[in-house]
Amino acid sequence: MSLRSVANVVGVLQVFVALAMLPAGAVALGYGDGDARGILLAAGITLVVGSGTYRLTKRAGAQKHLTSREGFAIVTSAWAMAGVFGALPFLLTGTIESPAAAVFESMSGFTTTGASVFADVEALPHGILFWRSLTHWLGGMGIIVLVIAVLPYLGVGGMQLFRAEVPGPTPERLGPRITQTAKLLWLVYFGLTVAETVLFVLGGMTLFDAVNHSFATLATGGFSTKNASLAAYDSAYIHWVTIVFMYLAGVNFSLHFKAATGRPAYFRDQEWRFFTLIIAAGAAVIAAANLWSGDYGALEPAVRDALFQSTSITTTTGFVSADYELWVPGSQMVLFSLFFVGGMAGSTGGGIKTMRVLLLLKQTANELRKHLHPRAILVTRVGQQPVKEDVLANVVGFVILYLLLCAGGALLLGIMGNDPLTAITGTLATVGNVGPGFGLVGAADHYGWMSGAELSVLTFLMLAGRLEIYTVLLLFHPETWKARKSYH
Amino acid sequence: MRVVVVGAGEVGYHLAERLSRENQDVVLIESDPERADFAGQQLDVMTVVGNGASLPVLEKAQVKNARIVLAVTSRDEVNLIACLAAKRLGVEYTVARISNPEYYSRGSVLSREQMGIDLMVNPERECARETFQLLKTPAFTDVADFADGRVQLIGLKVKKGAPVAGRTIADLRAEELAGGYHYVTAAIRRNGRTQIPTADSTIEAGDHIYLLAPTNEIPDVPPLAGYDRFRLRRVMIAGGSQEGLFLAELLEDNGIECTVLDRDRRRCVELAERLPHSLVLHADATDLELLEMEGVSGIDGFVAATGNDETNLLSSLLAKSVGATNVVSLVHKFEYIRLVPRVGIDASVSPRIAAVNAILRYVRRGRVMTVATLSGIDAEAIEFAVHAKSAIANKALRDVRFPKQGVVGTILRGNEIILPRGQDVVLPGDDVIVFAMPAAIPEVEKLFG
Repeated sequence: MSLRSVANVVGVLQVFVALAMLPAGAVALGYGDGDARGILLAAGITLVVGSGTYRLTKRAGAQKHLTSREGFAIVTSAWAMAGVFGALPFLLTGTIESPAAAVFESMSGFTTTGASVFADVEALPHGILFWRSLTHWLGGMGIIVLVIAVLPYLGVGGMQLFRAEVPGPTPERLGPRITQTAKLLWLVYFGLTVAETVLFVLGGMTLFDAVNHSFATLATGGFSTKNASLAAYDSAYIHWVTIVFMYLAGVNFSLHFKAATGRPAYFRDQEWRFFTLIIAAGAAVIAAANLWSGDYGALEPAVRDALFQSTSITTTTGFVSADYELWVPGSQMVLFSLFFVGGMAGSTGGGIKTMRVLLLLKQTANELRKHLHPRAILVTRVGQQPVKEDVLANVVGFVILYLLLCAGGALLLGIMGNDPLTAITGTLATVGNVGPGFGLVGAADHYGWMSGAELSVLTFLMLAGRLEIYTVLLLFHPETWKARKSYH
Repeated sequence: MRVVVVGAGEVGYHLAERLSRENQDVVLIESDPERADFAGQQLDVMTVVGNGASLPVLEKAQVKNARIVLAVTSRDEVNLIACLAAKRLGVEYTVARISNPEYYSRGSVLSREQMGIDLMVNPERECARETFQLLKTPAFTDVADFADGRVQLIGLKVKKGAPVAGRTIADLRAEELAGGYHYVTAAIRRNGRTQIPTADSTIEAGDHIYLLAPTNEIPDVPPLAGYDRFRLRRVMIAGGSQEGLFLAELLEDNGIECTVLDRDRRRCVELAERLPHSLVLHADATDLELLEMEGVSGIDGFVAATGNDETNLLSSLLAKSVGATNVVSLVHKFEYIRLVPRVGIDASVSPRIAAVNAILRYVRRGRVMTVATLSGIDAEAIEFAVHAKSAIANKALRDVRFPKQGVVGTILRGNEIILPRGQDVVLPGDDVIVFAMPAAIPEVEKLFG
């Protein structure tokens, strides 16, 4: 592996992160809250370090071909870099003092987790609020995908990076060139963001809040500009708009692209049907339980809050429209189960991903059937398409790794003195990039009370979860670092 | 009419035999001199030795003067080229035998129309279609479609104590008003002799009768001949040959539960990928224990469809021995077909005979539209289009001098299906299905000419 070319590409990406801080600086200047200086300083430092790295590692001559190992290394280091340098605005404006907490907040933003260390976000200056939302928005569709879309520099070897950042079990290209695919995905993403902002403003939200919440919705992030999240808005309209867009963000973006070009294929997509069914079924059970227990008196609010929460958790957004920890245990358990689903492959949502859950269920059903017909050759298929055995093996491996990671994280948090509920759901909420969990990290709580060590563990889990584990864990595999003879 | 047949394999030989018996001038092109010799001695046809895809050979066969070219070698590419060349030479109709679906599927580089081929016949697919018909109606020994499948010709054996046994045709027809047997009995076969019945012929138990019925009334026919009503629900196919796969696809399309066995693991995976609703088992077609474990005795139909005739016959017998009913065996060698009823297997299908039937049905199009050749008897069912100039037009049937060896089975008028009686009049524009012995066919053709 050539560390030099890895550092070179990461340098380029860092320049992008620096440039991304400028809009936040502009917002800060506009509102004059006094945070502009810190943000611009952070942008400056990031820019200098990034461009310095790029220049120092630049190689004269032809473009370097990237191997898939280098691809993994680049993506993981780029995200770690974004997490660290994205923390600078918090530190330099003095809004967060502990570096571990600042990196946690920044990583939570980029990985679209939405777990926050701030007890009172409403007291934060506008520039910082905007930076938090912007990290969501950039991380949602993927920083690297964005760079691939706008910079021909990564055209060569871009596929390696694209695959490492948007792994999913079934990669789909929208055009012959990777740049094209990346562009189209960002176009859909951008269009949906604008649409939601407009709808929010029409519903009476201020433009600033509307933009921030749209960024957080489409990225399935969860950062809000209000302490009470979306519950701060006593408007059914705003809640319904949020439900719809959280849902859209959890759907495979290539399906949106197809619909936008007049070839809607939602119903034909089995993963979509499954995803929609899960959300609807979860919401139905919750609404029924809440009405039955008397928590809700009227039908519409009960259905709305149930749908809001089931969509929010399943798509791994993490917005809250009601404190679900006050609901009956049955409703809470349904939400807890939804932590294991995640968005569709190719969406901005995290988690295990619906496609993997679907494949795993089908595979399990086949194993059962095999007991009835020992000689049967059974093919697992999604829709009409048969799924190859190595893809299935990969899915099984992924889910096992995912659960191991959750178990390991919960174990560490427990050892550090957290109660089991907080340890388990806190881990699930960070690995799955959801945000809020139960217990001390519940709907109305935040992560600010945790120690630096605890936050660092969760920061790693968020990164591993966002990059779908393999990409990150490969860096810890000894063979990745073994020297191979190069014949270039 | 001159017909050029390319390939004297089993399909080509059989086609040449049938066509020459019907007084067509047949030229047979065959690359193997011995086979060509054999055909020349056995049949009243002219033979040309050579590659059917080469122009000099086609010219030697005087393709220019032929109205129809039937390219039926076992090689798709030869058939395609022979047809292409024949079309360029001005032949009106070309028929190609094509086995590889890539050539005739919609995604093909060159469509059938672009290649100028009028009909592509896939023996495996035709065979699967025939098998499906047999499975659906186990009482029937023969089934043939007419008028795009709206009318079917079926053959079945009359059981002892059947409602129709011991009655005359006139008797049965008199019951028509009571909603009973109003079908046209096209032929009766008794003791190996085929006879076109008249009003006072009787139907006896043990007779093999052939009749024409509208497709929607087909399920009503078996009870008349003494059979129970039957619905196909579960089928087992032993052998994942191309025929087996096509059949399984047909069954899936019709919502019938299907189990497919194959010996080759890789073929099994292929089958499982192509057949989402079927159960594919990696097993031998003659693995008795497995057949029993998978419930062979409870199924409604068993098809032995490996590529090997001997295995198929054995597998059918084994299945039969553990209680399978409605057993159909795939047989390639013509010699073996005769064995099938003798060893107690219910029916056999052959991809080659299926192809011959499909081609013959097409060949006589124009004046003659559909022809069904039935395996057991000599008679043929033919669909004619009636023109204003036809001798039979605008006359009541009882006034037409119809040959004794033929009978009008059905009149199709637009969407209407008429089961004819003496006073019915045939109008121009009608399609008429006639059942006739080969000797009477020229005479019948004159009536419609």
